Amino acid sequence: MIKELVHTPDGVRDIYGEEEQRKLYLEDTIKKVIYTYGYEDIQTPTFEYFDVFSKEIGTTPSKDLYKFFDKEGDTLVLRPDFTPSVARCASKYFSEETAPIKLTYLGNTFVNNSSLQGKLKEVTEIGVEFMNDDSALADAETINLCIEALKATGLKDFQIAVGQMEYFKGLCENAGISEENELLLREYISSKNYVLAEELIDSMINDPVSKELLMMTGEYMGDASVICDMKKRINNDRSRKALERLEEVYELLKLFGNEKYVSFDLGMLSKYNYYTGIIFKAYAYGLGDVLVKGGRYDHLLEAFGNSKPAVGFVIVVDDLMLALRSGHINVPVKAKAETVTYNSNNLHEKLAYVCKLRREGKAVNLVAED
Amino acid sequence: MSDEKYLTFALGKGRLAEKTLELMEQIGITCTEMKDKGTRKLIFVNDDLKLKFFLAKGPDVPTYVEYGAADIGVVGKDTLLEEQRRAYEVLDLGFGKCRMCVCGPKEARELLQHHEMIRVASKYPVIAKDYFYNKKHQTVDIIKLNGSVELGPIVGLSDVIVDIVETGSTLRENGLEVLEEICPLSARMIVNQVSMQMEAKRINEIISKLKKVLNSEK
Repeated sequence: MIKELVHTPDGVRDIYGEEEQRKLYLEDTIKKVIYTYGYEDIQTPTFEYFDVFSKEIGTTPSKDLYKFFDKEGDTLVLRPDFTPSVARCASKYFSEETAPIKLTYLGNTFVNNSSLQGKLKEVTEIGVEFMNDDSALADAETINLCIEALKATGLKDFQIAVGQMEYFKGLCENAGISEENELLLREYISSKNYVLAEELIDSMINDPVSKELLMMTGEYMGDASVICDMKKRINNDRSRKALERLEEVYELLKLFGNEKYVSFDLGMLSKYNYYTGIIFKAYAYGLGDVLVKGGRYDHLLEAFGNSKPAVGFVIVVDDLMLALRSGHINVPVKAKAETVTYNSNNLHEKLAYVCKLRREGKAVNLVAED
Repeated sequence: MSDEKYLTFALGKGRLAEKTLELMEQIGITCTEMKDKGTRKLIFVNDDLKLKFFLAKGPDVPTYVEYGAADIGVVGKDTLLEEQRRAYEVLDLGFGKCRMCVCGPKEARELLQHHEMIRVASKYPVIAKDYFYNKKHQTVDIIKLNGSVELGPIVGLSDVIVDIVETGSTLRENGLEVLEEICPLSARMIVNQVSMQMEAKRINEIISKLKKVLNSEK
């Protein structure tokens, strides 16, 4: 007898019934909000050449990519995220375009992460990429869209932490830290490993002001007063400009009336060279990881031969569902289909009735009487 | 909103938890319920400060913290390195000091000088693998054991072991010695990434208070 194959591999799963309805509802709700900001849909292939997601461009380590070969022997990769694909696409089709480009995507991504840690290897991501606009308003609109999208799903307890890569880079430049040490320090600070960060800073820098400022980067998180405080103490122009930009973005978010969801975390850095300006993450209870990742990456499109400023974010729908569940927030499910019964005598009229209901958009099952 | 929520601590069972509670008392955080040795309770509450405590097996502490079941955890650095969980490691608590070492009989020292294949027994396969592959570039066969790792070289299961060394007396009694030190270890305080943002004020206050106590002890 053939062994019954009913299990799915580790890290992937079937989604059906009410759960699937909820998921579709969330996707639809978020999409509707995104459309109100003028975004247009884009679809990119599920797999691409390895180089599109290589170390210089992507944020997924090569060992975590699903790789396979085509007939010519080229290495192909199942997309681990959308941004490089969208950037490639934009470089190809919109290279002459100077007006703002707003693209939104929805689809599944694949990361071959470690097993047995309760993480999915295939998740659904929904996100936006806003290109050709490097203004503070573009930053603020993107953050605000993220807040509005989360609010629309019914999520209440969430927080958007905003940082600025340039702030940290300015400090490092001013203190004359080598690129290698900067990368190391970035990793320590972004993982809030104060112990190692302090040791490294102590060993590299003598200037007490630089030392203190760097040390405080990791610990500095809170409301807008953080920015004001730091502006008074900062010792270089690059970092000052970064703080001014944050202030500007915050003032704009106030105009949108959504500043209460926003906090600042100057120690929020990325391990990757990907982000160049603001960087933001949404946190919600019930998740071990961030719910939304976003930021500005003005140099990413250069990798595809076409320089354009860009800002964007991605929401992982599966994580959002977890956050909503842990917050006991109900997502509406469609009403069950109506049932109409028939027997051999009335089939004719029942059929006509059912067709009428369906034309009105109602869900109907036609079932034989017992 | 933040006033309503309890902050939950996960503490590694045993001496680590005792030491942590001693330290907590110095910054005014007490949990009288927990001092009762005869209790069978699993979770302890301080209603005035809105804090909860529970004891867990060491390797499970980072797991509780990663998933947000606990906001803050106290656990040995060895466990953090081995479990590779995502959580902020914010403070070195200074106690529970020991070292992660490669140990074995004297004769095994020679085997570590070359890149030849050796067998390593350890309770910490991740740490052992990282050390031999990425730092020493030596090919090794790692055998996971769950305790009394010192037996490995004695009964001929492995050439060396990777294990925690505190005083080294167990090693000496069994004719083994420290061959190489991998890294120093001590108790660390870890924080869930989400809690760190959502409860930044309360958690940072605890951290800075603890820091002050720790610095004054130095």
